[in-house]
Amino acid sequence: MSQRLEFRPEADDAVNDEGEALRFMRPHFGEEKFPWVQIWGYVGSLVLTFAALILVVDHVLPPLALLSVILTLAVGQAALQLGVFMHIRESRGLAWQMIFLGMVLLMGVGMVGMSIWIMTFKSGVS
Amino acid sequence: MNLPVEEPKLNPHVPTEFSDEKESVKITGFWMFLVTDVLIFASLFSSYAVFKNQVAQGPTANQLFTLGPVILETVLLLTSSFTIGLAIYAMRKQNKAALMTWLILTLLLGAGFVTAEVHDFVTFVSAGATWHKSAFLSGFYILVGTHGAHVTFGIIWALTILIQVARRGLTAVTTRKLFTFSLYWHFLDIVWIFIFTFVYLNGKIV
Repeated sequence: MSQRLEFRPEADDAVNDEGEALRFMRPHFGEEKFPWVQIWGYVGSLVLTFAALILVVDHVLPPLALLSVILTLAVGQAALQLGVFMHIRESRGLAWQMIFLGMVLLMGVGMVGMSIWIMTFKSGVS
Repeated sequence: MNLPVEEPKLNPHVPTEFSDEKESVKITGFWMFLVTDVLIFASLFSSYAVFKNQVAQGPTANQLFTLGPVILETVLLLTSSFTIGLAIYAMRKQNKAALMTWLILTLLLGAGFVTAEVHDFVTFVSAGATWHKSAFLSGFYILVGTHGAHVTFGIIWALTILIQVARRGLTAVTTRKLFTFSLYWHFLDIVWIFIFTFVYLNGKIV
C-alpha cells in the first residue's frame, strides 16, 4: 500500500524536462500511517477561529487594529487549509496551481483593496 | 471523427487520481476554475466592503447579526472540511467503506450548515431586513447567498459522486472526481472563513 504513494520524480518525464528554476513547483506527496496532519489541521483551524472570536467579543484592541489582526488570522487559516487539506504541492507533473494561486492572490487583494481605496474619495464611505 | 485513440499513460508511482494522464489534467483544470471563483468572491467582497456602512433606514450589521448561529455554521463547515480531508485520506488507502462514511458525514454537516444559514436568513427577513432595504443588505445577501448556493450545489454534486463510487469503485475517474470535490469543499471553507471574519466579526466591531 505504501508503494502506491511513493513518488519518484525520475519516473515522470514532465518533471525532468524542466530546469532548476521551476524546482519549487516539483510535486511532493505526503504519506502518513495515521491522519495526524488532518487532525492537527482541524485543531489549528478551530483555534484560529475561536481566537478571532474571543478577540472580537472582548474588544481587546482598537477597531482598525482588531480588524487587521482577525484578517491576519483568516489568512493564516486559508494557508492552513491549502497546505494541510488541499494537497497544494501534489500534481502529476509540475504543480502549476501554485502559479495560478499566486496570480489570483495578487488580483484578489488588488481588486478588494483598490475598490475600498477608490470609494473613499468623495463618498460617504470611509 | 476518426482520430486514433491515444493509449492512456499510466503512472504507477502517484496516487490513483493522478495516475491517468487525462484525468490528472482535469485536476489542474479544476484549480483554474477555483481561481476564477476566487475572482467572483473578490468582487462580491469588494461590493460588500464598499456598501457595508450604507444602511439607509435598515438595521446596521451590529444590530442585525447574532454570533451564536454563525459560530454553529462555522464549526459545522470546519468539521466538514476535516471529514472530507479524512475521506481523501481513506481514498488514498483504497478504503472504500471508510471513504463513503466520511463523505456521507461531510454531506450531512454541509446540509446542517445550509439549514442553519437558511434559518438565519428567514429570521432576518421576518424582522424586515430584506435585501431591498439597504445597500448593506443587498451586498450581504449576495455575498453570503452566493457562498450558500455553492455549498448547496456541492452537496448535490457529491451525491452524484457517491453513487458513482458505490457502483464503479475507486477508479482513476471516480478518485479524480472525489479529489476535485475535496478541493471545492476546502475552497468554500476558506471563503466562509473570510465571510465569518469580514462580515460577521467585523460587523460586531464598533
